Amino acid sequence: MMTYIVFILSVIFVISFVGFSSKPSPIYGGLVLIVSGGVGCGIIMNFGGSFLGLMVFLIYLGGMLVVFGYTTAMATEQYPEVWVSNTTVMGVFLLGLLMEVMLVLYVLKSEEVGVVFKFSGVGDWAIYDTGDSEVFSEEIMGVAALYSYGAWVVIVTGWSLLVGVLVILEVTRGD
Amino acid sequence: MNPLIFTTILMTVLLGTMIVMMSSHWLMIWIGFEMNLLAIIPILMKKYNPRTMEASTKYFLTQATASMLLMMAIIINLMHSGQWTIMKVFNPTASIIMTSALAMKLGLTPFHFWVPEVTQGISLTSGLILLTWQKLAPMSILYQISPSINLNILLTMAVLSILVGGWGGLNQTQLRKIMAYSSIAHMGWMTAVLAYNPTLTMLNMLIYIMMTLTMFMLFIHSSSTTTLSLSHTWNKTPLTTTLILITLLSMGGLPPLSGFMPKWMIIQELTKNSSIILPTLMAIMALLNLYFYMRLTYSTSLTMFPSTNNMKMKWQFETKRITLLPPLIVMSSLLLPLTPMLSILD
Repeated sequence: MMTYIVFILSVIFVISFVGFSSKPSPIYGGLVLIVSGGVGCGIIMNFGGSFLGLMVFLIYLGGMLVVFGYTTAMATEQYPEVWVSNTTVMGVFLLGLLMEVMLVLYVLKSEEVGVVFKFSGVGDWAIYDTGDSEVFSEEIMGVAALYSYGAWVVIVTGWSLLVGVLVILEVTRGD
Repeated sequence: MNPLIFTTILMTVLLGTMIVMMSSHWLMIWIGFEMNLLAIIPILMKKYNPRTMEASTKYFLTQATASMLLMMAIIINLMHSGQWTIMKVFNPTASIIMTSALAMKLGLTPFHFWVPEVTQGISLTSGLILLTWQKLAPMSILYQISPSINLNILLTMAVLSILVGGWGGLNQTQLRKIMAYSSIAHMGWMTAVLAYNPTLTMLNMLIYIMMTLTMFMLFIHSSSTTTLSLSHTWNKTPLTTTLILITLLSMGGLPPLSGFMPKWMIIQELTKNSSIILPTLMAIMALLNLYFYMRLTYSTSLTMFPSTNNMKMKWQFETKRITLLPPLIVMSSLLLPLTPMLSILD
């Protein structure tokens, strides 16, 4: 099972995305986002990115999702919608689940899958060590490069975040 | 809106487009598009009524979908070429997806449905920014990937856009919807010649932006958003009726005005590449555009449009001063003799 752990985690990832795309109430969407964040962290960690995985947990789940949960809890209704309370939501969820199951069976059975681009069976998801940077881990070098060569990216993303806050304040301010 | 915040947000719109036009890394281009989209939403929503909110929501949804498609095309390109540099997209799947994404951003058929609705729901100044500045960024990317675009898809979208832009504008009396359909048609002309000579796309973009700026500024000057309201300008500022006449005929592509220049060059370039039926069809469909421009000029400058007597006097506190208007009017009507200068766009 450990050779296909990334495949399994990716499937759970997609299923949890289907879970919140079928639009239950935002509280339950946030619940499924926690699951998908945790599973995404697992996928990154399996490729050797321990720092980035912990970043997902700390910043995404522990920061942004907590704030999202608090604001949703302030604005929630008395009987929020679950997946089983509304036929439409359940229908969409089951449809997404069915499509995912069919895709997984297709990938498991056939040698090569060519949906939009080609996967060569399940082998693409298996972990194998091809990186020859044995001294430094690649992923932590990437983070370091972001702050040295990629200073412009940091400036642009920082400015986008600032303007994002201004835009949201402007839009929700009303008259 | 607080002037400081408004300035910041407007500068971010400019910065987003600049980042798109200047980057060599696909990810930065995507970031530029998102920054542009994020910052233009409060500009579209300057007045807080349900109309503008609906228009901004529609704009956001379509443009966000287009950005997602663009990201998918970027990743497919990365998978198959292994690098992030901007150049022609070698993989056909990625190329088609990217062309569709950029067509959605521009408002080409079959992704044109948002243009009239969004343009109608927002104020005239926001509509101006939407129809001119927002076209620069996707067009620059199309220019850069132009050698690899699937010609069938591009030409189909272009011809259908000219048709939809001409046909759809026929039944409109609201000026913003007329400008929206005119934008769809002009985008069609621009993308038709993209695969043959991208310099002419840039020329058409330049002339189109000048003419659209002029038209919107004339509308803002007379505070009119419907044909009926525009037809009262003979009473307030009779000079602008002549200017509206000249600019609208220039938009329709009549010689000797500057709007004729891009159409002439495009048809010449297409016939040089041995396609005769296509430019003939395009020229014939441009007549539909000309028809509703002429209807506007007829009601505005050529006749005194019937209205009740108390509507004839327009009530306005002070005349808006638009400094840029006279040079724009001159440029959008008298540039035809400068056609050989289009070589500077290379």
